Amino acid sequence: MEIEVKGHSGCSIDIVTENSELYIIKGSENKDYINRLYQQTEKQKQAEKQEYRHIRIPHIYAIKKDNHSIKVKMEYIYSKNFIAYFETSGFEKMEYFITSITTFIEEEIARSKLSTIDTTIVQKKFEDIYKKIKENKFTGKDIEIDSLMKQSKVSFNLLPTQIEIPIGSCHGDLTFSNILFNDTNYYLIDFLDSFIESPLIDMVKIRQDTCYLWSTLMYAGTYDKLRMMILAEKIDTNLNEIFSRYKWYRDYYHTFQIMNFLRIMQYAHEQPIINYLKKVISNLVKI
Amino acid sequence: MSFQLIVPIAADKKEYSNTMPYLFNLNSDGIMLCIKSILGLNLDIFDKIYFTILKKHNDPYYLNEMFNIQFKRTNLLGKAELIILDEPTESQPETIVKSLETAHIHGAFMVKDADSYFTGNIEIGNYICTFPLDALKQVNPQNKSYVTIDDMYYITNIIEKKIISRHFCAGGYIFKDADAFIQEYKKINCKKGIYISHIIYSMLLNKINFRPISVKGYQDWGTEEDWLWLRSNKISK
Repeated sequence: MEIEVKGHSGCSIDIVTENSELYIIKGSENKDYINRLYQQTEKQKQAEKQEYRHIRIPHIYAIKKDNHSIKVKMEYIYSKNFIAYFETSGFEKMEYFITSITTFIEEEIARSKLSTIDTTIVQKKFEDIYKKIKENKFTGKDIEIDSLMKQSKVSFNLLPTQIEIPIGSCHGDLTFSNILFNDTNYYLIDFLDSFIESPLIDMVKIRQDTCYLWSTLMYAGTYDKLRMMILAEKIDTNLNEIFSRYKWYRDYYHTFQIMNFLRIMQYAHEQPIINYLKKVISNLVKI
Repeated sequence: MSFQLIVPIAADKKEYSNTMPYLFNLNSDGIMLCIKSILGLNLDIFDKIYFTILKKHNDPYYLNEMFNIQFKRTNLLGKAELIILDEPTESQPETIVKSLETAHIHGAFMVKDADSYFTGNIEIGNYICTFPLDALKQVNPQNKSYVTIDDMYYITNIIEKKIISRHFCAGGYIFKDADAFIQEYKKINCKKGIYISHIIYSMLLNKINFRPISVKGYQDWGTEEDWLWLRSNKISK
């Protein structure tokens, strides 16, 4: 049996066997990551309490945390990554996947409350990202990025002083790479605290992959890129059509997507990724 | 309803710069391999049969003349004709689109690969000709595209070079609407690396149904080596 598990930077992932059962142990001794992983796990535990029609959340069995380390024991899921799943899935599974994701987000919307927020929160976040991009040695002196930042600022300045969006529930990092695919069961992992807990964030994050194929950049293996593009475009068209029922999505998706890619840019340190981000942001600010 | 047959033979490979593509070779019965590839079909159902070739292959080897003699031998004179493309294409779908546009085809059509042979009952609709992998004596499973079929006998998936089921595409694809094919090709907007399977997969995602046609007597001469093997083993009819 071949089991492939990859962790993101900052934490280790081990598969352990106890009483013939497999478990995942996710851990970190990185001080910067301990609290982040703890918060992620707490968010996952909260999400686990909810009932979703198509989406599942791996069960958290135990959290061991002190000042020096954290260890989280969770359910092991037999699954495929998104590339392996999409490569071998027919149209009927793709339709099921689209339904599952949209139902999940609509359930989030139902649990959230349409709230008025002061856009200084968004503008402050933008200023914070701008500062970090300037401090990043890989992006700080890039004239092109600086120009994109100035163009992006226009989008944020155009926001009204207050905006109305649903606040209450979101995964926070709903990308293909944070979904485990097990036939027609989709398990969400790696929940993330967001600066605004809104389903709009999840709409933005999932379209980061369906529209901009972000997660494929992280995939080292070979795959049929054209098939992936066809598939992503189909999912994206459907999601965008469904999401567009909401006025707040139509009004603010674009600005929040710019913010999303700028947030990635602040930590970017590889030139191919920086080039990709410049291209995407450049296209977004033109709209 | 009109029904046309297209046989694309416009692959431009490096090795063809000074040798004739082997699909224009004669089989042991004196029939060109590319013509042999369609002789298992009931050709009466087609209004016209088009063989699409490249000018750069036609000119040095007098293929036009060769085809005319072959059409005469196979009673296809008047029904079959050549489409000669001035420039090589980058993919089989591009060759098909150019053939459809050149011949002003708008209705149903079948694409038959020139490197395989089978018999089967072909009809108008959206179909993929399939054959079970386990029924082959010799097979290179990696150079084929595969389909999955649901309980209602609909194609649910098609993919290049990944064995997702025992049913592989035998080299025959039937489309009921040429305009829909062209539209899908243009929508995908990618010239290199595109296969018919990509176009069909995109159509499947857009709720256009395809069904399988299970064919018989499948022979594969996908490479010159395959053909030489078939010939030496006297399997080829």
